[in-house]
Amino acid sequence: MEPLLRVEHLSLDYEVGAGTFHALRDVSFEMMPGRVVGIVGETGCGKSTLGQAIPRLLPEPPARIREGRVVFQGTDLLSVPKWKMPLVRGTSIGMIFQEPINSLNPAYRVSDQLMEAVRIRKFRESGETEVFRPAEGFDYSKDRPVDPKEAMGRTFLPSPPAARSAGARRGSEELRIDALEYLRLVRINDPETILDLFPHELSGGMRQRIMIAMALSEKPTLLIADEPTSALDITIQAQVLTLMKELMDEVHTSILFISHDLGVIAEMADDIGVMYAGSIVEFGPVGEVFDRPAHPYTKALLKSVPNRYKEDGVLPSLPGSVPNLSRLPSGCPFHPRCVFARPPCEPDPGPSLEPVKGAPVGGGHRAACYYSDEVFRLP
Amino acid sequence: MDERRPSSWSSTSRTRLRKAARAARSLYRILRANPLTFVGFIMVMFIAILSVLIVGVPFITGLFGTPVGILPHDPNELLPCAVPTECAAPPSLQNWFGTDNIGRDMFSRVLAALPLDLVIGFTVAGFALLVGTGLGLVAGFWDTPGTVGGTLSVAIMRVTDIFLAFPSLVLALAIAASLGRGTVPALIAIMVTWWPFYVRLVRGEVLAVKHLPYVAAARAAGVSGLQILSRHVLRNILEPLIVYYTMDVGTVIVTFSTISFIGIGVPPTIPEWGSMVESYEKLLLTAPWTVLAPGAAIFLTVLAFSLLGDGLRDILDPRSRRALVQTATAPGLPAVKASAAEA
Repeated sequence: MEPLLRVEHLSLDYEVGAGTFHALRDVSFEMMPGRVVGIVGETGCGKSTLGQAIPRLLPEPPARIREGRVVFQGTDLLSVPKWKMPLVRGTSIGMIFQEPINSLNPAYRVSDQLMEAVRIRKFRESGETEVFRPAEGFDYSKDRPVDPKEAMGRTFLPSPPAARSAGARRGSEELRIDALEYLRLVRINDPETILDLFPHELSGGMRQRIMIAMALSEKPTLLIADEPTSALDITIQAQVLTLMKELMDEVHTSILFISHDLGVIAEMADDIGVMYAGSIVEFGPVGEVFDRPAHPYTKALLKSVPNRYKEDGVLPSLPGSVPNLSRLPSGCPFHPRCVFARPPCEPDPGPSLEPVKGAPVGGGHRAACYYSDEVFRLP
Repeated sequence: MDERRPSSWSSTSRTRLRKAARAARSLYRILRANPLTFVGFIMVMFIAILSVLIVGVPFITGLFGTPVGILPHDPNELLPCAVPTECAAPPSLQNWFGTDNIGRDMFSRVLAALPLDLVIGFTVAGFALLVGTGLGLVAGFWDTPGTVGGTLSVAIMRVTDIFLAFPSLVLALAIAASLGRGTVPALIAIMVTWWPFYVRLVRGEVLAVKHLPYVAAARAAGVSGLQILSRHVLRNILEPLIVYYTMDVGTVIVTFSTISFIGIGVPPTIPEWGSMVESYEKLLLTAPWTVLAPGAAIFLTVLAFSLLGDGLRDILDPRSRRALVQTATAPGLPAVKASAAEA
């Protein structure tokens, strides 16, 4: 089966006054349709950058993509002209952000914003506008051929007010009903009241539900969830996670789930990618990576998770700190903190993501470590 | 849900009427809850109606015969003086604001100047608002260096800086002086110098707003750049902009008055507050009403717009609007919507 998303050797720098920060270094992974891929890592390891680089949401400059490809449904998104990117966003690649508090426009009611999202999707579905159509093998919308002139007229020329008002009102009623459905989907009680409220009248959890409803209402093929629960308190976090888990079964969307919380990833993801200093150091099915990590960093990370609240002394922590992304150590970026480090780890180039020796064949368990088989075999 | 959906054939116009009535009611509540805004609103309404009457009544009566104005005297009519050498009469029942040194009724002169000064204030500030907002949006939104937009942005800002480098009054005076004396040259002079402030203001606001998460969220939802600019960014910079505009109307009137005061603006036969203050300056000690009346008119007009503008910000911001409406409703009524949100 053709992967939905294939990130190949993606390297991205931030060029700011203080220097060049290598935020992503040679990131490669694949995502099969219908899978949930979790990306986990410490603060500043580049997970959010990765999430935003895929739909090209990063402002360039300061961000600069050095090399690589982001192949989405057979099309390299990095070669799509910039002005066409809005057509990919929303309906093809949706996104949920970290800060639900500020992610809704304070000036508009919930209905306006939700209906805007539904309108975008309907407009693209209707085929009346030029939608993002990758070269081949991807049937984005209905196969009705569109007369470009007609499409232009429909898009840009305002119709006479009399003709428009009746249709527009009927249209907005339809959008409203559609919006209500998505509010119900995210388990919001009394959606009709909520629809007429302003964002500041809602709690953080409610706002995040509405953000999820907005993202889902565009029926994205791929949903990127960038720490959707980090800004919420723990009970709301649990509610939102439960909701997302239930929704995964209902809407069958592929999800790229970014989080710093290993527990959340374990709960949500099918595959997991562990990031360290801008690169993926380990990638594989969630159960296998958690049971038998093949990279020392993953191992250390898993060890530092508090386990069932036992009182068994000091929680193990990783010595040292995350390297400065503008002055990375040579070779394997983890070697200064690694207990397995040996002389071959130091010179450039460092290890690349290779299948772990001894792991089940075809499982896709890969690690960027020269001694991954050794780490893998450890209890 | 069914009651919201207009299903029957007659309900559309009725819902529209109901919507308008609801908007009017909430406007009334907001004004009631905010006494200073209310005062400003009443003052502005009064000023607006008065100036419409001053211009409109002679025009309409003129269509049917001799024009009849609402002013007690023609502003240039010389009233008979009690003492031929000293014409300036203090305020009395006949002449509410007194008369000037050649016997013209000050009340009529001050009122006659009102429409002109309002038009000047609104056109100059309105022109600046349009030009400044347009340029400021472009300069703020497409400011990525190295792109066409970025270059344009830099160009706009440098031209703006050139204009801002001169004190705007001095620049306006220079332009007005070179164009010659008259209302229109003075108007053009202020227009030319006025827009850079708006570019600065709008650009700053756009820069602040465009990096907010909801703009990123809109981008991620597939909203195109132009729509983000018009729907998400512009709407959220409207509050400071409207406030600045309404206050600016007053400032423009003052500036125009200053130009007239120096003697470059309107000719003395056309009543204008600034030029009145200028021409009566010599009478300040002997007949102070001639200076105080137009001065007070400037002050009150500026005050009215400032009060209204300040209140408009509260009305435009959904947060304070809801709060205002809720405090304005009877305290016994439950705040249904707010409590529903917590559920």
